[in-house]
Amino acid sequence: MTTPFVKGDYDPRSKLVLVLGLSSLAVVFDYPRILLPLALATVLCALYLRSGVLGSLVRMRRLLWVFLAMGIIQSVFTRGGQPLVELAGVALVTTTGLERGVSIILRIFIILVSAGIMTTSNPRDIIQGLYQWRIPYELAFMVAVAVRFLPLMREEAEDTLTALQLRGVRLEELPLRTRIRTYGYLLTPLIAGVLARARQMSLSVEMRGFRAYPRRTSHRTLVLDGRDYLLMIIALLLVSGAFVAHFRPGPL
Amino acid sequence: MIRALGASYRYPGEGQVVAPVDLAIHASDVTALFGPNGSGKTTLGKLLAGILKPTSGRVEILGEDTRTLSLGRIGQRLGYLFQEPDRQIFTARVDEELALAQRLRGVPEDDVLGRVEEMLDRFRLEHLREAFPFDLSRGEKQRLALAAIMINRPPFLVLDEPTTALDVVRKAELSALLSQATEGGVGMLIISHDRSFVARHATRILELSRGEIVDDYSVR
Repeated sequence: MTTPFVKGDYDPRSKLVLVLGLSSLAVVFDYPRILLPLALATVLCALYLRSGVLGSLVRMRRLLWVFLAMGIIQSVFTRGGQPLVELAGVALVTTTGLERGVSIILRIFIILVSAGIMTTSNPRDIIQGLYQWRIPYELAFMVAVAVRFLPLMREEAEDTLTALQLRGVRLEELPLRTRIRTYGYLLTPLIAGVLARARQMSLSVEMRGFRAYPRRTSHRTLVLDGRDYLLMIIALLLVSGAFVAHFRPGPL
Repeated sequence: MIRALGASYRYPGEGQVVAPVDLAIHASDVTALFGPNGSGKTTLGKLLAGILKPTSGRVEILGEDTRTLSLGRIGQRLGYLFQEPDRQIFTARVDEELALAQRLRGVPEDDVLGRVEEMLDRFRLEHLREAFPFDLSRGEKQRLALAAIMINRPPFLVLDEPTTALDVVRKAELSALLSQATEGGVGMLIISHDRSFVARHATRILELSRGEIVDDYSVR
């Protein structure tokens, strides 16, 4: 019997239940009045679990424009509700559009911050925890790899944005439409990088005998303690409470 | 061109990576930052190029404090070649890649097309003009990244480990392109641990060890 690598840390499975709960709510619900308190709850959870959420947000500050751009696109192209901004009688921004734009920003924020919680666990522990939950090792490995590469992807995105600006492109002075289009260029190197890395890694793990045997044994085992169960119960109560509050008959 | 006045740098939550440094880099020189892995070359290079802002002291590029310069404005004063070419390729075609920054900077289309042709020819990328940049070899990607910077006609270049993963032939090709640039009056700061490459190009060498400049000498 062993405990997680970081003494006093929660079991990665309890964190996973929390993260799945938070991100599922962010995907299912589409209203700022639900997403806003959910975002606050996510930040509080991240702070409690010491995921360095504020540091991550500071490091991502230059990418926040991308999320803002997505929100603006949603605001402008979603019709419905009362017009808020009009040009020559044509509604540019409506109440529904604005609500959708704010929702998309909050959704991305919740998913990123909650995903950051998983980076506080050792990737080896994540695999072990999932495997003990009877998740096939291949899938558990994929989850752990995704967590492992999140910080690297952030670093790549920042480098790419820096490289584009260092070609003398003054993003801050570009018209909004051009700026939004320019952020699209960042996706090319990011996707290419992910694909190249996935190709290299698949070759590397196969060469080390990955999937060589149908069953795996492990010297390490994780044990859920009282705190872990408590965290999972709170997460499940949060999710079910949000669903009940939203889908019960009558106004919210 | 670049002046460091007591500039130092530490990454958040870590010890000092670059000790306070006073230094002037001249546009007429080819200066090399030379030292072993982990000696702080890239961090000092990024500090001097204005990508990182000093934690104490100041760095000036053409007399302006880098803290007040946006990356876009820095990019109009110098070109920076990253170690990893994949992180500085943005489009699905070689010729589009060359034209990208020019178009975003509002250069007239006729001028853009003329400069693209010039770069395709100078960097021997003509036969690859329609190729998907991520399918190119390492040496070709390196040439493309350099051409995409040189198309902006920067007066000064910062090159971070430009010879990484290049074989002897590709290194010689890169050397020829850099020599051509210096003959055209482009100053350079080369960050490298490749002694022979540095010896071939540098007019001044700054040796680094554990974040400190331990030697500074002219070689020609």
